[in-house]
Amino acid sequence: MVAIQRILLVAFAAAVLAVTFHLIRKRRLREEYAVLWVVTGLVILVGALVPEGVLAWLSGALHLSYGVLITFVCFVFLAAIVLHYSVAISRHAEREKDLAQELALVRDELERLRAELREKQAPAPEKKPKPPALRT
Amino acid sequence: MTDADRDSALDDRDEPEDGFDDAGADLDLGGRRALVVVPAYNEAPAMERVLKDLARHAPWADVVVVDDGSTDATADEARRAGAKVLRLPVNLGIGGAVQTGYRYARRSGYDVAVQFDGDGQHRAACLAALVRPVLADEADLVIGSRFLEPRGHTATGSRLVGIRILSAVVSRIVGRRVTDPTSGFRAAGPRALALFAAEYPQDYPEPESLVLLHKQGLGFAERPATMRRRRDGTSSIGLWHGGWYMVKVLLAVVMDIFKAPVRLKEDA
Repeated sequence: MVAIQRILLVAFAAAVLAVTFHLIRKRRLREEYAVLWVVTGLVILVGALVPEGVLAWLSGALHLSYGVLITFVCFVFLAAIVLHYSVAISRHAEREKDLAQELALVRDELERLRAELREKQAPAPEKKPKPPALRT
Repeated sequence: MTDADRDSALDDRDEPEDGFDDAGADLDLGGRRALVVVPAYNEAPAMERVLKDLARHAPWADVVVVDDGSTDATADEARRAGAKVLRLPVNLGIGGAVQTGYRYARRSGYDVAVQFDGDGQHRAACLAALVRPVLADEADLVIGSRFLEPRGHTATGSRLVGIRILSAVVSRIVGRRVTDPTSGFRAAGPRALALFAAEYPQDYPEPESLVLLHKQGLGFAERPATMRRRRDGTSSIGLWHGGWYMVKVLLAVVMDIFKAPVRLKEDA
């Protein structure tokens, strides 16, 4: 791997890590989701710094050229991230459903209590002469 | 006279051919409480008719309309007709709406919950026949089937083919004959009610819930029910025409076999 490739990869890894760090700091990315991006950045960094011999051995062992190997690693990481998101979306959909249902039930409870309260606060005309009895 | 003519003529009379005048109205619950859950999404024009039908044939049950985030006057129409209404703030789809009713039933201490569509296609006259086996503890869930004694409106064309394929697959999974796996006309007893309040399939709830029941060791039965052709609104499964829908339902039903069992907590 030529020096320029290594420099580019290190710069890319640094950018991924910096952006991730920045987003966490600004509270726009939760750590839960940041972990994958930090790991991705670190893997790119390791890939850029790994000695020539190890790379040659790895591509030889897998019968893949260096370019294909890198593409494959990238693909695996992107797939993992997308799968992670699908799982997260499913969980959020389930929570949203539970919350909506709870809201409908609580809204009904609120309406019922409100009606009850209204009845207590505005007694029927014939009951007006003795308000203290209503305090119970 | 075409099929469509015959069906619409059939709609306009009030169940005469079945001799159902006040059928079911005299059902004795034996001290137990029943709730009819009516899921409705933009069904304002049908509400009055549906609720009158229920009041006439099932005066022994309370009724709750679950308004699934409608954009029309469904909730107002239901309240005007005297029903209790639960309003979902967003549209959850039929599974989420029905489960809201099951959760309400469970919290309010009902013993039996009946699912009854808000579009007017189900006949309240058939309701008592579904509740009776539940009261007698013959089944945890009783499904009203259009195909046990085919009368009234069943299904046509590709929809019928789809139901046939699906019932063959579901029958094979649960190890017994299911003639109408997509019927949303069903009565649930206490055990099914507890299960559905905790966990109810959201994607294709009718066939999927049968696999869920089977996996949880609960029993279900079918009873004949006649249905009407819908008059207002559009079906929630308008995509029946298309193999893609079939593929997705079959995949969901087969996946249900492998899902981890539901553990019920005491407080659902």
